[in-house]
Amino acid sequence: MEQFLTYTFLGLVLGAVYAIAASGLVLTYTTSGIFNFAHGAQAMLAAFTYWQLTVPWGLPPLVAFVLVVGVFGPLVGMVLHQVLMKGLRDVEEVTKVVVTVSVLLGMVSLATWIWDPAEPRSVALLFGNANYVDLGGVKIRYGEIFVILAAVALAVGLRLLFTRTRLGVAMRGVVDDPDLLRLNGFNPDRIALTSWAIGSALAAFAGAVVTPIAGGSLEATTLTLLIIDTFAAAMFGRLRSIPRTFVGAMVLGLAATYFLGYAPTRFDWVSNVRGALPLIVLFVVLLVLPQDRLRGLAQIRGRERPRVPSVQQAVVWGAVFVGLVVLLSRIAGPGMIGPWVNAMAFAIIALSLVPLTGYAGEINLVPLSFGAIGIMVAYHTGIEGIGVESRMTWVGIVAGIAATALVGALVALPALRLRGLYLALATLAFGGIMSTLVLREINPRHWFGLDIALFPNARLIVPRPEIGPLDLDENTTYLIALSIVFAVLGIAVIALRNSGYGRRLVAMRDSPAATAMLGQSLIRLKLGVFVFSASIAGLGGILIASAQGSVSGDDFLITASLVLVMLTVVGGVSYVSGALFGGVVVGVGLSALNGTSAGLGADMPDLEPTFLVLSHLGALAIALTGIGVNHNPSGVVHAISSAYRPLRAAPPVLAGGAAAVALLVGLNLAGVLGDWAFALLTMVVVFALPGLGARFMPERVLTPEQLAARATPRETPPEMLGLDVPLTIDERLELDAGLGLPAAAAAAMELRADPDPVVGEQEPAHVPA
Amino acid sequence: MSLLETRGVTVRFGGTTAVDAVDLALESGQVTGLIGPNGAGKTTLFNVITGMQRPTSGSVLLDGSDITRKSPGKRGRLGVARTFQRLELFLSLSVRDNVRVAGDIVKASRRGGYDVEAETQRVLELTGLAEIADREVADIPTGRARVVEVARALMTHPRLLLLDEPASGQTEQETEVFAAMLRALADDGLGICLVEHDLSLVMSLCRTIHVLDRGRLIASGTPDEVRATPEVVAAYIGAEVI
Repeated sequence: MEQFLTYTFLGLVLGAVYAIAASGLVLTYTTSGIFNFAHGAQAMLAAFTYWQLTVPWGLPPLVAFVLVVGVFGPLVGMVLHQVLMKGLRDVEEVTKVVVTVSVLLGMVSLATWIWDPAEPRSVALLFGNANYVDLGGVKIRYGEIFVILAAVALAVGLRLLFTRTRLGVAMRGVVDDPDLLRLNGFNPDRIALTSWAIGSALAAFAGAVVTPIAGGSLEATTLTLLIIDTFAAAMFGRLRSIPRTFVGAMVLGLAATYFLGYAPTRFDWVSNVRGALPLIVLFVVLLVLPQDRLRGLAQIRGRERPRVPSVQQAVVWGAVFVGLVVLLSRIAGPGMIGPWVNAMAFAIIALSLVPLTGYAGEINLVPLSFGAIGIMVAYHTGIEGIGVESRMTWVGIVAGIAATALVGALVALPALRLRGLYLALATLAFGGIMSTLVLREINPRHWFGLDIALFPNARLIVPRPEIGPLDLDENTTYLIALSIVFAVLGIAVIALRNSGYGRRLVAMRDSPAATAMLGQSLIRLKLGVFVFSASIAGLGGILIASAQGSVSGDDFLITASLVLVMLTVVGGVSYVSGALFGGVVVGVGLSALNGTSAGLGADMPDLEPTFLVLSHLGALAIALTGIGVNHNPSGVVHAISSAYRPLRAAPPVLAGGAAAVALLVGLNLAGVLGDWAFALLTMVVVFALPGLGARFMPERVLTPEQLAARATPRETPPEMLGLDVPLTIDERLELDAGLGLPAAAAAAMELRADPDPVVGEQEPAHVPA
Repeated sequence: MSLLETRGVTVRFGGTTAVDAVDLALESGQVTGLIGPNGAGKTTLFNVITGMQRPTSGSVLLDGSDITRKSPGKRGRLGVARTFQRLELFLSLSVRDNVRVAGDIVKASRRGGYDVEAETQRVLELTGLAEIADREVADIPTGRARVVEVARALMTHPRLLLLDEPASGQTEQETEVFAAMLRALADDGLGICLVEHDLSLVMSLCRTIHVLDRGRLIASGTPDEVRATPEVVAAYIGAEVI
C-alpha cells in the first residue's frame, strides 16, 4: 500500500510537470495557431540556464528559479513572437512547422555550444532534497508539493482566464479573426505577445524542475524531446481545452510510474516501453479523435507558385545531373566520394518529401525512421553470403520497400481524417517509438518460432548490392549508381506531378473542401501518397545503410530527420532539386563543416579554438536556415534558378561563369586548389553570377521596368502629388495655369515670398465656365 | 419525387440556431432561388446538403433515399456539386488544370468511358473560359474565377448544382451570359439552386424562390408570390426594391 501511494504520488508529480508544459503549448497554439515544436527546446534552454545560475554562479535556487521562469522564459517567448511568429499568420502549415523546428534545432545547437555535452551536470530540486514531509511512510519533498500546487493553480487560473475574462476570450479570438478583434479595441499582436510570454514561461518552469523529478543529468537532445511526451497530454485536450489537458497529463504521469513500478522487471523491454509510453498514448489519442469538419481554407492569393517542369525537361535535367556526377567522381579526391555517396542517399530520402509535402501539403517529420524500417527488413530478408562476399539482394530491397509502405499506411491511417498538423505529430510519435523501442531491440527474442533480434548488436552491417556484372562495392560506381537512382526517381516524381494523380494531390492541398465536393475521397488520396512517399524513404534507408556499410540506431534519430526535412523545405520541397539540396547539405555540408574545422584545427593548433567557434557557428547557422522559409517559401533552388533565368539573354556572362568554373576545375586537377577550397570558390561563382550579370550587362539581363526603376529613383506617381508629397510652388503655378485660374496663380505668386502659405482657404476670383 | 429534399433540417452552433427546421425541395430541370439577408443560414443549408456540415436534426434525401450520413465525396459522386461563396480555387493550377483536375477525379472513381481531355475542352468552351484557359487561376478577376468554379462542377456531370453567390464580382455583361448558360443547363435537365443577392437575376431565372430569414423558411413560391408576401418585404426586401 505504501509502495502504491509512493508511485501514485510520483505519478502525480510527473503529471504536474507534463501539465505545466502542455498548458503552455496549448496556450500558444490557441492564441497564435502555431504549434510550437520548439517548446521542448525552450524548456531545455531554461534547464541549462537554471543550472548555470545555481551551480557555477551559486545563486540561491529560489532566486534562480524566479529569474528563469519570470525573466528568461517570457523574454525568449517575446523575442520569438516579435521576430518570427508574428509573421506566420496566413502561411502554409509546412512553413509554420519548419520555422518552429528550425528554432528547436538552433536552440539545441546553441546549448551544445555553450554547455559542453561531455561534462555531466545535475541540478537539485527546488527547496532541496532534504526537505520533505513524511506522509504515512511516503516521503514528499517540498519541491514536489510546490510543482503539484503550481500545476493545479495554473489549470484553474488558465481556465478562468479563457472563460471569464475579456482578455481570455480575446485570446481565443486571435486566431479566428484578428481584424474583428482589432475593431473591438484589442491589439491582436499584443495579445499574441502576452500568450507567447506566458507559454514560454511555462516551458521554462517545466524545464527547471523536470530533470530532478524525472532523474538523470542534463542533456540537450533528451530534454528537448522529453517535452514531446507532453504533446500527448495536449492532444487529450485537442490542443484547446485546459482542463482536459490537465487530466491527460495526470493520466500520463500516473501511467508512466505505475508501469515502471508494476510491470514485470524480468523483461528488458519494459523500460523501453516505459520510455515510449507517452508516444504510444499520443498515437492512440490521435486514433480516437473525432474527424475534423471539412471547411474552407482562407486562400492565400498572390503567392509564388512553383513551376512544374515537363517530363521531357526532367529527362534532360536528369541526364545532365548524372553527367555532372560522373564528372565530379572523376575530379574529386577519394576522400570526397564518401560524403557525396551519403549525400545522394540522403537526397533519395529527401525526395520522398516532394510528392508528400511539396505536392500534397502533408508533413512527415521522420523520413529517416521510415528508412530504418526499410533497412531492418532488407537486412533480415535480403543478405546473401558471408563477410566480404556478402551482398544485398533484390529480394531484400523489394521486401524492405514493401514493408515500409505497409508501415507507412499504418502510421498515417489514424491521422488522415484530421488536419495536417496531426499527421505531422503522428509521424513524430512513430519516430519516437522507433528510437526508444524498435531500434533498441538488440538482443534476440523468440518471435513466432524464430530467434531474431530486430536490430542485432545495435549495429547492422549492410553490404551493397551487385547488379549483374556491376559490383557496387566500389565507391565511385556506387555514387554513379545512386545518382542514376535519384535521377530516375526524380523523373518519376515529376511525371507523377504531371499526371491526373499529381493534379489531384495539388488540388487537395489547395482546397480540400472543393476536392472532396468533386467526389474525391481525401483519405484515400492522402493514404496513397503517404504510402508512395514512405516506400521511397524505405529505399533511401537501404541505400544509406549500404552507403555507410553499417548503421546504428543513432543514424535514425528524430533530430537527424528534422534537419533533413527542414533543409529540404529550405531547398524547395516542391522541387526535385530541393530534395537534392537537402541531401547534399546533410550529406556533404554537415560533414564538411566538422571535417574542415577539425582538419584545419589539427593543422594549425594555435587557431583551433577559433575553428571550433566557426564550426559551432556554422552548425547554428544551418540549424537556423529554416526560419527564413517564410520569406522564401519556394526555396533556395527556385530563387537561384529564377535569378539565372534572365541570364539566358546574356551569353557572355554565362560563358564567363563557365570559364571561371572550368578554371577552378583545372586548378583543382592540377593540385593547386584543395577540394574544399574548390567547392567554396565554385559556390561563390554560382551565387555571384546573377548579380554580376545585372551589374555589367543590365540592358540584357534586367526587364525594362527594372531598368526604368534604376534610371529614375522612384518618382511619386502623378495622382499622389499633393498627397504623398506637398506641391512645390512651381507645381502649383503650373496647375493653376493649366486650370485657367489666373487670380489664384497671382495669389500664389505673392505667396512665393510668404514661407507659410495657406492656399486652400483662398477664394478663387472667378470660376471658369 | 423531388431530386433533393431536406426534411426538418436544423443546425445549431452552441446557442444560435443557424437553420431551423427547413423543408425544401429542389427539382431537376429547374433553377430554384434561395434568398435571404446575410446570416439567414443559406450557406449553412448548402453545407448540410453537401455534407460539409452535419445537421443537428433532420435529414437530406436525394431521389428519395437518405444521404444525411454520407460523406461530401460520396454525395459528389452521386451528382451533388457546388460552388463556394468564399472562392475555393486550386490556386497553384492554371484555369485549364482547375477544370481538368475535376475530370481526373471523375476518371479515378468511375470505370471507363470518360475522356478527361475532350470533356475539359467541351466545358471550357461551354463556359466561355477557353480563351483564358492557360492563365494562372490566381491572376484572373473574381467574376471569371466564379465561372471556373462552375466549370469545375460541370466536369462531374452533376444532377444538382448549388451555386453560392455566383454573380458577385461579375460585370453586368458577364452576368447576362452567365444567366443564359444556367438557363440552357436547366433546360438540359440539371437541377440548380441559386443563392444570390442580385435579385433581378434570381427573379428572372427562377420559377420557385425560397426565402430564409434567421434560419427559418418564411416564404416559398413563384417570384410574384414571394414579392407579394408581407413577411418577405418586412424581413428582407423593402417595398421599393422590386
